[in-house]
Amino acid sequence: MESPVSAESAPPTPTPAPRNHTPSPSPRAEAQELRMEEKERTANTEEDPIYLSLLSKVSVLVDEPAEDASERAEERAEREAQRQLLATEELVYTERNYLRLLQVCTCTIRSNLQNLQPQLPNLDSMFLYIEEVIDVSGRLLSLLDQKQLTPHDPLFLETLCDAFLSLSTDMESAYKEYLANYNTVTALENSYKQKDALWTEIVKVIKSSEPEVNATSLSFFLVMPVQRIARYPLLLQTIMKHTEPGHPAYSLLEQTAHTAIALNCRINEYKRFREVADKYKKTETLTIRDKMNRLNSHSIAKKTARLSQFIKHETGIAPKLVDEEFDALEGFFYLLENGITVLHENVETYLDHLQRFLSCRPEEFDLDMDGEKPAICYKEIITALRQWILPTFEKRMRTLVHKPICSLRELLAGPRNLISKRLDKLLDYELIEEKPSLSYDEQAVANTYKTINTLLLNELPQFNGLALTLLWGMLGAFSCLHKDLAKDMEQLFQGFTQQLPHGSLEPNAFWEWAECSLLEGARRLESLCWNVKDQLNAPIVQPLSPGSQKRLKVLTDKHGSGKIYQLMGHVVGTRDLDLSLNRGELVAIISEMDTRGDKRRWLVDAGGPRGYVPSSKLVRYHQVTMDPPPSPHLITTMDHAGGVRRHSCTPGVRPPSYTPDTPQPRLLRSMSMTVPCLQVLAGYDFMARSSHEVSLRAGEPIRVLEPHDKKGSCDWSLVEVRGQRGYVPSNYLTVMPTSTTPTAPYR
Amino acid sequence: MNTKMIMLHLTMSFNVFLQVERDFEREYDKLQKLEDQTKKLHKDMKKSTEADIAMSKAAVKISGDLLSNPLCEQDQAFLESMTALDTAMKRMDSFNQEKVNQISKTVIDPLKKYSSVFPSLNMAVKRREQALQDYKRLQSKVEKYEEKEKTGPIMVKLHQAREELRPVREDFESKNKQLLDEMPKFYHSRIDYFQPSFEALIRAQVVYFTEMHNIFSELTDQIDQAGLTDEQRERENEAKLNELRALSIVADD
Repeated sequence: MESPVSAESAPPTPTPAPRNHTPSPSPRAEAQELRMEEKERTANTEEDPIYLSLLSKVSVLVDEPAEDASERAEERAEREAQRQLLATEELVYTERNYLRLLQVCTCTIRSNLQNLQPQLPNLDSMFLYIEEVIDVSGRLLSLLDQKQLTPHDPLFLETLCDAFLSLSTDMESAYKEYLANYNTVTALENSYKQKDALWTEIVKVIKSSEPEVNATSLSFFLVMPVQRIARYPLLLQTIMKHTEPGHPAYSLLEQTAHTAIALNCRINEYKRFREVADKYKKTETLTIRDKMNRLNSHSIAKKTARLSQFIKHETGIAPKLVDEEFDALEGFFYLLENGITVLHENVETYLDHLQRFLSCRPEEFDLDMDGEKPAICYKEIITALRQWILPTFEKRMRTLVHKPICSLRELLAGPRNLISKRLDKLLDYELIEEKPSLSYDEQAVANTYKTINTLLLNELPQFNGLALTLLWGMLGAFSCLHKDLAKDMEQLFQGFTQQLPHGSLEPNAFWEWAECSLLEGARRLESLCWNVKDQLNAPIVQPLSPGSQKRLKVLTDKHGSGKIYQLMGHVVGTRDLDLSLNRGELVAIISEMDTRGDKRRWLVDAGGPRGYVPSSKLVRYHQVTMDPPPSPHLITTMDHAGGVRRHSCTPGVRPPSYTPDTPQPRLLRSMSMTVPCLQVLAGYDFMARSSHEVSLRAGEPIRVLEPHDKKGSCDWSLVEVRGQRGYVPSNYLTVMPTSTTPTAPYR
Repeated sequence: MNTKMIMLHLTMSFNVFLQVERDFEREYDKLQKLEDQTKKLHKDMKKSTEADIAMSKAAVKISGDLLSNPLCEQDQAFLESMTALDTAMKRMDSFNQEKVNQISKTVIDPLKKYSSVFPSLNMAVKRREQALQDYKRLQSKVEKYEEKEKTGPIMVKLHQAREELRPVREDFESKNKQLLDEMPKFYHSRIDYFQPSFEALIRAQVVYFTEMHNIFSELTDQIDQAGLTDEQRERENEAKLNELRALSIVADD
């Protein structure tokens, strides 16, 4: 019979060797491992003199020769009981020591290390999950101590098993995190070891904090949970081995031992998952150089095989491994991803427009109406909206909607990478799936695929569900924010609506009043415009000097009255053939463009000299007693844009709109008197040829509404005569002083 | 005319000119400021209206894109929530459009119309200025002849100059009087002209926000958890995000 405790309780050898090991199934290996561990263990337990004496007794027991059968059986039973007791005590004793050392490490050593100068980088990450482990271990011991039983007590075993079982879930969660993170701890310690001076310091601190233990590294302590969790099955099985099946606590003990094994399996599975996930879930940002470096014959072969498998799937050559459950999860995930991405973009667009809205400050331009109630109210309302109501809304939007959606979007990367990696591994796996026996590498491939697959099957539902709930919550918040905004505004308005003159009107009445007022205002504006243009823009009337009169006669005889123009300003000739003339001089137009086709220079006859003058300085000069000048072409453009034009032809439906850039009215009020009291009359008869035009009788008084047509051409004027409105050729109009009577009688 | 009279005449003329100018400048200044403000207000109102419309459309897109995502079909309750949200957003958008139309009609268009008067006014002021220059020029010409000896040719020229001056002076005076009349009237007219605009602006907003309150109160009752403070919401969000981060498949950098 192999004794679980070796007689060679050697003096403690300081050989720390952090080791991860998984519990192996065979009992022989178990015991072997146990022995090896004994050797490695450094003063964890067996310094106790009582324990040592017990050990010696056991070895004495072992070496004694057997006596009678009954005596032997009795002795055997007693031996077993002793061994069981020992094993039980060992479990408890080692647990206490284990806890004590962990506490030393976490408190004393840690604080001493923290005092080191320079500061150790990332020191805290070494102690990340150790608190939970300490906590669970402490609870186990306190549960035992509560009952105040000793291992000699028959009920002790039962208590022990109960305590263990009750804590197994917590133990699993505490240890699984610790183990999954342990690689980080070793890596960090190695980084410390790189710096010799620093490492010597650290070792000094460790040794001084716990001199009895004589540890030479941090991992000496930090590896203990890794070892401990794996020891529980061994310790429990050892107790079980020396327990009679008839013992009242036997089945409980058996259950506990199984639980301990299951714990270890799950913890290791978790560790494996994490390793695989960590390896593949990060979005690698590799430069092209990195990617090229990664290429080698192996990786190329791998990728080629994957691609060919993929193509086989797509073309139907090879059957696809269809996993409906996974496909459903994957499909949901992609929909979720799409929804989240789109929502994120839409929310950002929304916030952009909100910012633009806030950047406008219409309340600053109050048109000097700061004495008027409506303007004041408006200003205050918009200021409140813009300076604190909307900014609050925006801030809440950002915190409760925008920030979460950003975070959520970032989290999508991990699962996405894993899903695509799974597909890759699946393709690899399918290639080797059918093989009866797999090589080590192939086994690894198969395992990786299965690990990722299981991981995703387990966790995607959670991810999908949580993400959906988050989305829902955000949209609820979105709605609530709008409600609050509207409520704030309503409260704001309450203070103002009584102050407004028409605030109490019913909606229909109000809008009617508003429209009427605005119409009225527009009409008044229009009449003002008319006044300004009509009265003020008329160029002044100057009497014709005798010289001018003579020239007028000469030019009219030669060229006809239709060609007589007057200079509006002085011109000074700069080029060849340019004339220099004074303001008010009369000329006759020979050509409305120069030899190069430039319409801005007109060839004129100045009653002798001929040359070019700028056309912008020329204005038609009208006289009364001439033949009717030819009316300009009927412009068909008057048909389009029905709205305004049509209306302006029928009596008084809509007033014509004034355009700001009306060209100078070409109508020059001609003068035969010095007194500028003039009236516009029809110079000649005119027959309207379409519904846009109006007929004229020579001599009847008319009122000019617009001295140009829709296109700005001054050839036509919009006039009102006999109550009708329409277009007439501008050169058919004439201006007479009011005191003269018309030359032709009315018909 | 002896020298004294000439000097008096000249000084008077000069003072008259000065006073005339000061009165005119004062009134014209006010109008120029008004023109500037009207233009700026018009521009700003247009910009803010455009942003308003864009915001509303963006909100509709938020709900529309979500509703069209097949995600909604996975869960009946979620589908109902998204449908309600979408309906609410669309209704709000149509109210917003109404509001914008009202504002366009009662504020932005009248602003534009009001602005369109200024060019004519400015032109009229320029013409008056021209007339003033002509007046000054001819006036000094007359005064020049008046100083000279009263010979025959001088008298003829003086008479001609006076004849030339008269219509110009009358023209200037009429222009000046008219503008001095019209400008303050126009300036004052803004109050009556714009009062309906301001009231309409406020009224349109009131209508819009009242509707918003109704629609979103209903919607919030349907899709949101009641009685949460902002801190509670933030904590819940953080908690869920942390749950997600704790998953192995999630990369938490």
